[in-house]
Amino acid sequence: MPGFDTLFSRRSALQLATAATASGWLGALARAAAPDPARKRACILLWMSGGPATIDLWDLKPGHANGGPSKELATAAPGLHITEHLPKLAAHGKSLAVLRGMSTKEGDHGRATYLMRTGTLPQGAIEFPTLGALAAKELENPAVDLPPFVSVAPQRVFSQAAFSSGFLGPKYAPLIVADGQAARAGGDVDALLKVQNLDRPAGVTGPRADTRLALMRDLERGFADSRPGATVESHKSAYEAAVRLMNPKTAKAFDLTEEKAELRDRYGRNLFGQGCLLARRLVERGVPFVEVTLDGWDTHGQNFDAVKGLCGVLDPAWATLMTDLTERGLLETTTVIWMGEFGRTPKINAQKGRDHFAEAWSTVLAGGGIKGGQAVGSTSKDGTKVEDRPTTVPDLLATLCKALGIDPAKQNLSNVNRPIRIVDATAKPVTEVLS
Amino acid sequence: MSRVVLMAILVAVGAARLDAGPPALTAVIDRHIDAKLREAGVPAAPAADDAEFFRRVHLALAGRIPAASEVRAFLADPSAGKRTQAVDHLLKSAAAATHQTTLWRGWLIPEASADPQVAGTAPGFEAWLRPRIVANVPFDKLVRELLTTPLDGRQPAVRMNAEDTTTPIAFYTAKEGKPENLAAATSRLFLGVQLECAQCHDHPFAKWSREQFWGMAAFFGGVSNQGGALRELGTRREMTIPNTERTVPATFLDDKQPAWRFKSSPRVTLADWVVAKDNPFFARATVNRLWGELFGVGLVDPVDDFNDQNLPSHPELLDDLAAAFVASGFDLRAVTRAIVMTEAFQRSSRVSEPGQRDPRLFARFAVQGLTPEQLYDSLSVALGVPLEGPGAGYLAGNGSPKSQFVAVFRRTGKPTEAQTTILQALELMNGSLTGTAAKVGTGSTLTAVQELPGLSDAEQIEAVYLAVLSRPPTPEELARVLQIDTVKSKRLADVLWVLLNGIEFRTLH
Repeated sequence: MPGFDTLFSRRSALQLATAATASGWLGALARAAAPDPARKRACILLWMSGGPATIDLWDLKPGHANGGPSKELATAAPGLHITEHLPKLAAHGKSLAVLRGMSTKEGDHGRATYLMRTGTLPQGAIEFPTLGALAAKELENPAVDLPPFVSVAPQRVFSQAAFSSGFLGPKYAPLIVADGQAARAGGDVDALLKVQNLDRPAGVTGPRADTRLALMRDLERGFADSRPGATVESHKSAYEAAVRLMNPKTAKAFDLTEEKAELRDRYGRNLFGQGCLLARRLVERGVPFVEVTLDGWDTHGQNFDAVKGLCGVLDPAWATLMTDLTERGLLETTTVIWMGEFGRTPKINAQKGRDHFAEAWSTVLAGGGIKGGQAVGSTSKDGTKVEDRPTTVPDLLATLCKALGIDPAKQNLSNVNRPIRIVDATAKPVTEVLS
Repeated sequence: MSRVVLMAILVAVGAARLDAGPPALTAVIDRHIDAKLREAGVPAAPAADDAEFFRRVHLALAGRIPAASEVRAFLADPSAGKRTQAVDHLLKSAAAATHQTTLWRGWLIPEASADPQVAGTAPGFEAWLRPRIVANVPFDKLVRELLTTPLDGRQPAVRMNAEDTTTPIAFYTAKEGKPENLAAATSRLFLGVQLECAQCHDHPFAKWSREQFWGMAAFFGGVSNQGGALRELGTRREMTIPNTERTVPATFLDDKQPAWRFKSSPRVTLADWVVAKDNPFFARATVNRLWGELFGVGLVDPVDDFNDQNLPSHPELLDDLAAAFVASGFDLRAVTRAIVMTEAFQRSSRVSEPGQRDPRLFARFAVQGLTPEQLYDSLSVALGVPLEGPGAGYLAGNGSPKSQFVAVFRRTGKPTEAQTTILQALELMNGSLTGTAAKVGTGSTLTAVQELPGLSDAEQIEAVYLAVLSRPPTPEELARVLQIDTVKSKRLADVLWVLLNGIEFRTLH
């Protein structure tokens, strides 16, 4: 075990004390933005909590009783049609690959959330890591002071475990901003999207903060060295990461006021829109996995009004994200994945709603590593069955891994001391959508 | 080993009688633990010193650290029986009742920490639970009451102290009144068996079949949820397995035949079987849960996953504990007392031999992460400021400081592999609680230490150590602190801040 001396290295302590210099800050930005072939890939997950009615978004059924009132709209990609309520995104059709053959068979919010985000249903004592943790472990860059996995506005009520790094441990746990309950209560979006408690207590200057960290390192040593183990290690690594994050120039990543007002307007002045802008800022600075949650898709009643309303948030945010990533040369190395825990019933219920449906639905991949401008797979005329290219959760996740340059067959040691693959061995990547 | 054979063995061993007196049980526990250590060739760690012991029993039994004054008095007490006295005092304390209520509420309705609607019912549930814990109601009676409570359309109370509506019905609403959820929770909590995997298919590891799962669910088959109001059709004793034509009758997990009672709910029949003295699961699952809570790792671990692939580390010990629990009349307090008085519980957490790191040997006391409630209540003691008192109101996201704190410090993973997150580190380094406390003039502990007349620098530093870590500093630690070259008041604030942020304060050890 490494000695405890390494806690709060001199480097961290100095970073905490020293104000950011302009050249360092701009230099880092310039390096990150340059088209660098060695640049690691990144992923942005747009998580649609509640189960989106994909039959009204990506796989419309015009002319069928199950189709509902939404109309189709041609995208920039010939032959690819999506809902009329996503007009801005339609302009990016050439980047989008719609998987219309999703068939996942789990209709309970909690279990389906776990399934989509870990690749498996809960299995006894095994703590499966969420997708973001798996990707963070493979793609992290140790030179980056930001944590490798950030979760924006998660809604963890359905399944806490589906947002956990599981057996990969706290090092890959998501750094959470705008946590569900607080965020839903409303408030100032800029403040919600900041990491809490980044500023030192009033009156504690830089040198004094260093004194404290040095004292902590020395006073911890006796306890830590005589009681080695995961608990001590985790405490140490969390404090190191926290100190790195407190560096003002690192924390700037969360300061959205640095962005032009016009760009912020285009993303949409709401939690999801500004969350997508934050995702771009983080990816730009070397964070390999960022997820942004849009909640409210559990549309058992008045589905069509709700979907239209949610599209009003989704469309500008996602479309602007695509443009912004493109303009900064980041889209080629950033894969965007859009999904929820399941789709919704083709049959429209008495409350003009749609219920949970996992037999036949859609997800979307876009950007880095993805051959866009197409839909792969298809469902029957009434939307109830997958007719072509049925796609399982492992298939989808293996496809994402391939796009990100991750080997889905790689194994991690689990908490039950059994090696477990990143994606289950049954997975068949949807090669048609890989570029 | 087949399930039937395993159970036959469990029943046979369980029937062996034991002297149930705690001193005798304490010796029995140590004998089993020591035998296994000899077999493994691992020497036990030395005994914990008084300070280590005192802090440990406070956290384990009362859910908080002791006050500095209590530590001083205990360390100065020369009497030989002071550890026993401390344990007996703590077991009957109001703090212990609060801690045990929080623990059992967390086990019985874990949904309250994630689901705001269930959280609203937690205070009412605690209003039912707490008096029973204070009175040390035999556990079989408590579980029987929980499993047979009338479901007459009443809704759980969402108001504290609404005494005439005091009922454990929140247990049923947390499980959405669904027979399958109630069966899964009952099996997991009181039988130590995870049946839910068998809901859709036969269990992948254990021997449970889908039919057995729905046979258990059928005892709750008459329960229905009508917009949150739970009712029961007491004559229903069967269930149809969803998406099949098969109907299964209510069936126990062993081969006993239900003895139906005229005009009473099948839940009464189920409860009679669950808490029966010869039920091979109930006592084992319960003592194993107690053991797991105290040591951070169960004899079977996870504590609620007994199966053929997950056998106990000390099978004979588990049997003897279970038998003693039955013989004591299902007395939770007596078994807890016997366990904390063992040498195994009173070993140092220091690793003196590498082999002691295996937590399932109990060669040393394992370092465990605190629950958010333990940490919050300990901060309250260490800072000398009264923080939010008992009651589960904070679970409902009421915006109180405790509510926010608990949300950040929720424990994940095994207690012996406790995880610290970046947000937790930031909260303790810079958050309002510790930030204010470690600032001269605002924190109560700091103010008190500085206003005590006649204390030397070293004595002031010792006072901060006693308040936060419940022990005096070592000479090396004292020397290191005295090196800090600044005004005394700032130095004390720095020490307080450092100790509150350290791993020693963050853990039970």
